[in-house]
Amino acid sequence: MSTTQVHANLTEAQVREISGDLEEPEWLLETRLEALAALDDLDMPKVIRTPGRDWTNLHDLDFESFVDPLNWAEKKDQVGPDEIDVLSWAEAVDEHEDLLKEHFGSIVDPQENYLTALSTALFSTGTVIYVPEGVDAEDVTIRTEMNSQSLFNYTLVVTEESSSVTILERQSTGDEGEVRDGEERASGTVPREGGERYYSGIVEIVAGENSYVQYGSLQNLSEDSYNFTCKRGVTDTYATIDWIEGNIGTKLTKTETSTELAGDSSETQIVGAFYGHNDQHFDLDVKVWHRAEHTTADLVTRGVTDDVSRSVYEGVQDVGRDAWDTSSYQRENTLMLSDESEADASPKLIINNHDTEASHSATVGQIDEEDLLYMTSRGVSPRDARNMLVEGFFVPVLEEIAVEELRDDLEDLVQERLRE
Amino acid sequence: MSSDQDHLKETDTEARFDFKQEQRAAVTSEKGLTEEVIRMISEDKDEPEWMLERRLRALKQYHAMPMPTDWPGQPDLSELDVEEIVPYIRPDVDKREGVDDWDELPDDIKDTFEKLGIPEAERKALSGVGAQYESEIVYQNMQDQWEEKGVIFMNMDQAVKDHPEIVKEHFMTTCVPPSDNKFAALHGAVWSGGSFVYVPEDVTVEMPVQAYFRMNSEGMGQFEHTLIVAEPGSEVHYIEGCSAPKYGKHNLHSGGVEVFVKEDAHVQYSTVQNWSKNTFNLNTKRAIVEENGTMEWVSGSMGSKATMLYPCSILKGRGATDTHITIAFAGEGQDIDTGAKVYHNAPNTKSTIESKSISKDGGRTNYRGLVHIADGAENSSTAVECDALMFDNESTSDTMPYMEIEESKVDVAHEATVGKIGDEDIFYLQSRGLDDDDAKKMIVAGFIEPITEELPIEYAVELNRLIELEMEGSLG
Repeated sequence: MSTTQVHANLTEAQVREISGDLEEPEWLLETRLEALAALDDLDMPKVIRTPGRDWTNLHDLDFESFVDPLNWAEKKDQVGPDEIDVLSWAEAVDEHEDLLKEHFGSIVDPQENYLTALSTALFSTGTVIYVPEGVDAEDVTIRTEMNSQSLFNYTLVVTEESSSVTILERQSTGDEGEVRDGEERASGTVPREGGERYYSGIVEIVAGENSYVQYGSLQNLSEDSYNFTCKRGVTDTYATIDWIEGNIGTKLTKTETSTELAGDSSETQIVGAFYGHNDQHFDLDVKVWHRAEHTTADLVTRGVTDDVSRSVYEGVQDVGRDAWDTSSYQRENTLMLSDESEADASPKLIINNHDTEASHSATVGQIDEEDLLYMTSRGVSPRDARNMLVEGFFVPVLEEIAVEELRDDLEDLVQERLRE
Repeated sequence: MSSDQDHLKETDTEARFDFKQEQRAAVTSEKGLTEEVIRMISEDKDEPEWMLERRLRALKQYHAMPMPTDWPGQPDLSELDVEEIVPYIRPDVDKREGVDDWDELPDDIKDTFEKLGIPEAERKALSGVGAQYESEIVYQNMQDQWEEKGVIFMNMDQAVKDHPEIVKEHFMTTCVPPSDNKFAALHGAVWSGGSFVYVPEDVTVEMPVQAYFRMNSEGMGQFEHTLIVAEPGSEVHYIEGCSAPKYGKHNLHSGGVEVFVKEDAHVQYSTVQNWSKNTFNLNTKRAIVEENGTMEWVSGSMGSKATMLYPCSILKGRGATDTHITIAFAGEGQDIDTGAKVYHNAPNTKSTIESKSISKDGGRTNYRGLVHIADGAENSSTAVECDALMFDNESTSDTMPYMEIEESKVDVAHEATVGKIGDEDIFYLQSRGLDDDDAKKMIVAGFIEPITEELPIEYAVELNRLIELEMEGSLG
């Protein structure tokens, strides 16, 4: 194919170079080039919208100017037990082409929106996790330290029948220019003025029959970063996908975490926690599609907004016509610590099957004055009292996090922020 | 009494009907919404120049605004051709005059009335036949005791002439400006009929002010305007009765309701609407509530092909309170998209929204709500509760609340549940000797009780009866 490239900063040649460096097969290069060519016609991802108003303005950002496709740098640890494959993207291309061909882009359409297409065209790093039938694996760790102005990451998880896996992902920003030498292509990039960066991540999970995937993620990128992530899983019969979503860092995060319950009796839980301060903006999109019988979903999110930060939460429980005997629950609670912060919430129920038990609730409030008074009257300083109440606020979410390590890390980050 | 007499004269004379018929011919010959049509309506009503100017300005705004098409999951309005509908105003007048014989009414409407057990006189009112008479009687009785207290209750068209100073100040200015949305602009251009209610300071109107089916009295009532001004410390309950079923094809109802609740005043606006199933029901209803004022919206939305209706309260003064209680019922082919909007723009304001919906036989109900708490509206609280009951698997029920919170010292809660009728409940009732249908009816009656108990008994009975009939699938 041939396209005329009109983007200021992006060219077909760059995409060919990325793909070539990774020694990708022709079909993958084609997918990338098609995504690049589609950029002009694609819209930004959907954000919460009331008539005439977008609650997150993605159009204000010139994403292409953030992107420096050939200059990317990261420090990455991706480790897991021996009986499963935890591969870098280059390794996966080499060892698991069939798997990639079958699943890449099958859950998150590369051309779903402008940012998924940008990500597909330009991603240069990633992880593929393959869990064979019957294998139970824990402690898969992916740590990504971003050391360049832009970084595009892709993750694919495939679990075969009756297997299980627990994956912990962390994203952070390293010192500029600090590059670990290794097999990854890396060249120190000069971050753009103001130190602004862009991290983009796509995660696809294919949960085989009766398999269990727990995918925890803790995003603590620097506060001059912009972040777009789309994490989506599809369940087969009896499969379970549990997500844990911790969002602490960035200037602006636009993230979707979702599960399509495609197999009968499959389940999902999405547990989220966020903590915004300064002028952070979180656009959190949590979705579940009930597409089969006897499916269950439980969505639990709690977050704090402080200073002039803003959280925008949309949770969708979509029950399809064939989703008989559905159970679907959603809770979202936001605690506002300052007068200047804002919290928007829209928990949506879309119900097309009447054999459904569904509920959702959302609350926004402040620290209870009585609790505060009670604690200060017991000799606790107002500051400590507030911190304890915020920690307490997160407890119901922390309790839902089955992975101890992630729970501890999240707790630490919350405490760290409270000490600031 | 002069306003009343004039009103009788204006609306009841043969000459006026004849005149209208002439006009109708002229209007139908015009295609679309044009300045000429608007001038004709205004001239027909013998309006002052300033009202004509407002209409023409609204018309311009209407033409400049796009159709709302970007709402997630909104009802399909593609079949709605406003340019085709507006000239239909006149044929309705024609029909009303023509159908003075009960037997000439369409069968489905006759059936409805018969099943409702409504006496023939009232049936005529419902169908638009003789509604004029019925509504005048209602006015007359109430006017006597209120007038001494300075309460004004009259036809909106008449109020433009009799109370220009109040109307000029409040009519589509600060509450529902035509620029609010496309259908508000349309309404501002073609509005006709409706109610004007003015309650002086510290006056309590003990019994509900009722405008029962009266919009048909104007024939053009698909665009009726209701303006309620409650001065400080006053109290009034306005009820708009079952807005008569329409039987033209491609109907559009685009009403406008503006309520001014001044300091310490209390207004309840109740409505039970049952539109024919080919009506697009697209309304703008809004209240501005001053310090310590209370606004209560109670509404039952039945009928229509598609409804988009989100009564809105702007809590402008400190300590203002809003209550919304709504029920929606969607049967086959119906898309009832309703909800509530509340803007908390002052400290210590409070809102409570209770929404119930029932969907059946492929109908869709949606709760679409917006609660906005502005920066500075400290110690405000809002509680939203939505419950949806679904009868079968062809039906759909959505809930789309939006909460925009800019102030931290607030208490915001939203809760929604969706469920089918409990098999256990039905089994229990059946074991007590009720048949399946009766058991369902009883459960639904219990489900909607929070609404019915807010309504005067005759409305509550009617709402119950309408829902029962819908459940039997026996309404046309």
